[in-house]
Amino acid sequence: MPAGPALPRLVAMTSEESTPDVVVRLTDVRKEYGDTTALAGVSLQIRAGEAVAVMGPSGCGKSTMLNMVAGLDRPTSGDVIVHGEDLGRLDETGRALFRRRRIGMIFQFFNLLDDLPALDNVALAAQLVGVSARQARRRALELLDELDIADRRDIYPAALSGGERQRVAVARALMNRPALLLADEPTGALDSSAGEQVMDLLLDLNQIGQTLLLVTHDERLATRCASRLVELADGRVTGERSLERSA
Amino acid sequence: MTRLGQPVPFRERGTGAMWRAARAAVRRRKLQTVVIGLVLLFSAATTVMALGLLVASTAPFDDAFARQRGAHVVATYDSGLVTGAQLEQTARRPGVEAVAGPFAQAVLEVTLTGPGMMGGPLNVVGRADPAGPVDRVELWAGRWPSAPGEIVLNDTPPPADLAGFGPEPGQPPILGSTAEVPGGPTLTVVGMAYSLGRTADAWVTPEQVRAFRPSSVQMLYRFASAATDQQVEAGMATVTEGLPAEALLAAQSYLLIKQSVAAEPGVFVPFLMVFGILGLVAAVLIVANVVSGAVVSGFRHIGILKALGFTPGQVLAVYLVMVSVPAVVGCAIGTVLGNIGARPLLDMSFQGMGFGPVGISPLVNVATLLGMPVVVVLAALVPASRARRLSAVEAISAGSAPRVGRGLRVQRWLGGTRLPRAVSLGLGLPFARPGRTALTMSAVLLGVTTVTFATGLTSTVTRYADATDGNDHVGVRAADPAPGAGRPASSLTDQQIEALLRALPGTNRVTVNLTLDFALVGSTRPVGVNFLRGDVETQGYREQLVEGRWLAGPDELVAPSEWLGERGLAVGDRIVLEAEGRRSPATIVGETMSGPPGPSRLLADWSALARLAPAREVGNHEILYQIQLAPGTDVPAYTAAVQAADPGLDVWDNGGTDSFTVAAVSLAAAVTLMLGLVTALAVFNTVVLNTRERRRDIGMLKSIGMTPRQVTAMMVTSMAVLGMLGGLLGIPVGIVAHRLVVPIASGAAQIRVPDSLINVWEAPLLGVLALAGAVIAMVGALLPARSAARLPIAEVLHNE
Repeated sequence: MPAGPALPRLVAMTSEESTPDVVVRLTDVRKEYGDTTALAGVSLQIRAGEAVAVMGPSGCGKSTMLNMVAGLDRPTSGDVIVHGEDLGRLDETGRALFRRRRIGMIFQFFNLLDDLPALDNVALAAQLVGVSARQARRRALELLDELDIADRRDIYPAALSGGERQRVAVARALMNRPALLLADEPTGALDSSAGEQVMDLLLDLNQIGQTLLLVTHDERLATRCASRLVELADGRVTGERSLERSA
Repeated sequence: MTRLGQPVPFRERGTGAMWRAARAAVRRRKLQTVVIGLVLLFSAATTVMALGLLVASTAPFDDAFARQRGAHVVATYDSGLVTGAQLEQTARRPGVEAVAGPFAQAVLEVTLTGPGMMGGPLNVVGRADPAGPVDRVELWAGRWPSAPGEIVLNDTPPPADLAGFGPEPGQPPILGSTAEVPGGPTLTVVGMAYSLGRTADAWVTPEQVRAFRPSSVQMLYRFASAATDQQVEAGMATVTEGLPAEALLAAQSYLLIKQSVAAEPGVFVPFLMVFGILGLVAAVLIVANVVSGAVVSGFRHIGILKALGFTPGQVLAVYLVMVSVPAVVGCAIGTVLGNIGARPLLDMSFQGMGFGPVGISPLVNVATLLGMPVVVVLAALVPASRARRLSAVEAISAGSAPRVGRGLRVQRWLGGTRLPRAVSLGLGLPFARPGRTALTMSAVLLGVTTVTFATGLTSTVTRYADATDGNDHVGVRAADPAPGAGRPASSLTDQQIEALLRALPGTNRVTVNLTLDFALVGSTRPVGVNFLRGDVETQGYREQLVEGRWLAGPDELVAPSEWLGERGLAVGDRIVLEAEGRRSPATIVGETMSGPPGPSRLLADWSALARLAPAREVGNHEILYQIQLAPGTDVPAYTAAVQAADPGLDVWDNGGTDSFTVAAVSLAAAVTLMLGLVTALAVFNTVVLNTRERRRDIGMLKSIGMTPRQVTAMMVTSMAVLGMLGGLLGIPVGIVAHRLVVPIASGAAQIRVPDSLINVWEAPLLGVLALAGAVIAMVGALLPARSAARLPIAEVLHNE
């Protein structure tokens, strides 16, 4: 896989619209599930082009925070503003429309559709916003090519390796040129070699301007890909520091 | 630690664990459990009603007939052509089991005086006693005639709650009334008796009947074999062999009576059977769908059960018990409801037949209670066997590994079409699970078949009602001039009344109808003849012809199918009617589905009146005027106008619907609703299964921006396409079922229906039906689809 600046075409493939300086602004966000408090007043800002890693022990609220930023869930209180949109004020449909335009997501277990080949899995995101099947497939093919798996475009997920599946998932996440790429334990289900490749890919994407929010247990991934580390414990931000990216 | 080290008291059979697992499975699938229970409830109810009516249509008759040692054949001989000795010899012919007779018989024109009694020709038989080797007449009130001047009438015993309203406590009101024979004696009614074989209208002593100079004698035969028409005919051929030609005037088979007894419940049996079978097939499909869905979506669960030590047999038992519980409960409730639902139909069908209370046979209940759950368990056995066969490793890994999809080419092709992606994804879903799709589509097909069949049935019944009643909007009859009738008599003649009615605004057509009773030579029962004139042909009667032609002369008759069926006659046969002491032959030239309102009677042209009953003086109050109104005529205003024109005319509105139409249409509507609901539940179940199976996919699609409306559209589309296909296939199946069942049902009621009542399918109706499948499927899919649209993405994606 080409490294760093060797992804010139992806520059054009990331967000075309002007991005506000602050892409994510969380202000005193609380999330409660019954008697359980998942987030107890989190405040955080992510600027355009930043790569932020969120770490913390299991149950500390990492995934809940990611869900808030992605618009998958609504806060009990506080403001979640992403790319200028106050997600707490949007209804389910509004948040779906927001996600398809502004957010790309990568999951630990890939979440590809088993019934569609790699190309159609990637094209799907564009087709949902009304792009024609032909155009969507063309762009999907460009992305797969850029991610070095164009030759696997007709293969169904069951026959792809873990690393290949995650790259297809990354391509799908980039399909609509998101302002923010969210990754939830993106290397958690991969062997070390495939994990390395995905780390490289995320690093490259950030280097060409893609804003990135990572949730991980893997310190190596955080230090490799992120420029800032946010530590969570018991639903609160307990620490925040800049990172020197390791090679 | 000591206790941990103690040996565990194993119970190798482990049934407790199996029950617990099965109970948990039922609790986990509350919805499917309810669906299975409801389908079985419906299916059991209709099956009990259908089988119950079927058994009741023959069993009570057989019991009562055996109890009375009813005559297999009531043979009427011309006493001028055959001697008593010759007839007694017929008893010794091979195959004859028992004989009663010869009994002299005469047809008397009598006038009965008594509450609710009317006159008419009575077939009176001379018998010394009601007992004997054949036709043990059931004397249910009074006594048998012991001297001349006494008569016993044949009638069914009244229901227990109506008995005993006579002058004496416990006696029917007719006892003690008199029967006047013109030019003869006055007979006193001393008893009421019931002969199921309808061997006579009344009985007198042999001495009394000789006074009437009888011209015929009756022989009652029981044969060793008489289960079929052929056996009865063979028996009669043996009996009459060697007797003078034409000595036998008529032979009435008990099978015709049995057939007419079965007619009323017989109409409902084919419909109920079809609906019951459709319900059972729906139950099988749904159970197969639920169990296969439970197996497929529960691979991991199966793996865990096996890893815990469940034997393959126990795993199989878990799934079978899971469906058996709702099946047995639904079946039990359905059986109870079926018994309750059959009660009014049985009462309506057997009222006044003298069988006493007729209920659902216990055998029917037992067969339903045992049979239906067995069918359900067998339906579950095939998919549940898959769970039995799976190894623990296979099962656990199958539950977490990516699936290798099916119908991939189609889904890929759909992805490249111009359709909105949510729609193309929805269209592709059915191809991913072909087995489930086939089961669901079959359920939709069944639903549409039911809707089509029931719609056709409703159209046929409605057309039947229109054909028999629709052209008779208003009835008019002159008031009875008898003293105490309470109304002024009309001073107008028959012709003047007709002219008055024709002149009234709103009158479109008028048929004039006079009903008279005649004795039918060779039959124990009098027959009614409707003499018709006016706009008979254009007022609907001719359209009801199913065979032959309309009346063209005074010696011709048209007979309703029911009338012909009850007597074993057909178009082309000649019959002899007797009145005023003269016999008049006439030919049946046509068969009509029905006739004027009321009991089934022969139709004759008005000109035949002078031939059949030349001396009969007809009072204007005996004549019925059937009036068809011009479209848009205000019926109350018209009836008021008739009364204003002549206060001596009774006029009534014939609007309204008859009880059969109401029962058939209500039944069809109820069953359509129920099976439509069952089909929608099957679709509902499929979408629930699909949603459960695709929670992760739906979550992912929502995570990349699929809106709730798009998710709903995707899931609904996936079923709408099945609904459309099922609809297109179900329509022809429903039409075929309708074309098969309607003639069977009408045949059971001894009615032949014209093609116009069977060819009810027209393009707009078919268009609506074509949409029925899609509508049923979409209704069934909507709720779980909306639930899928509300799936919490975060939870799904992080937990799957």
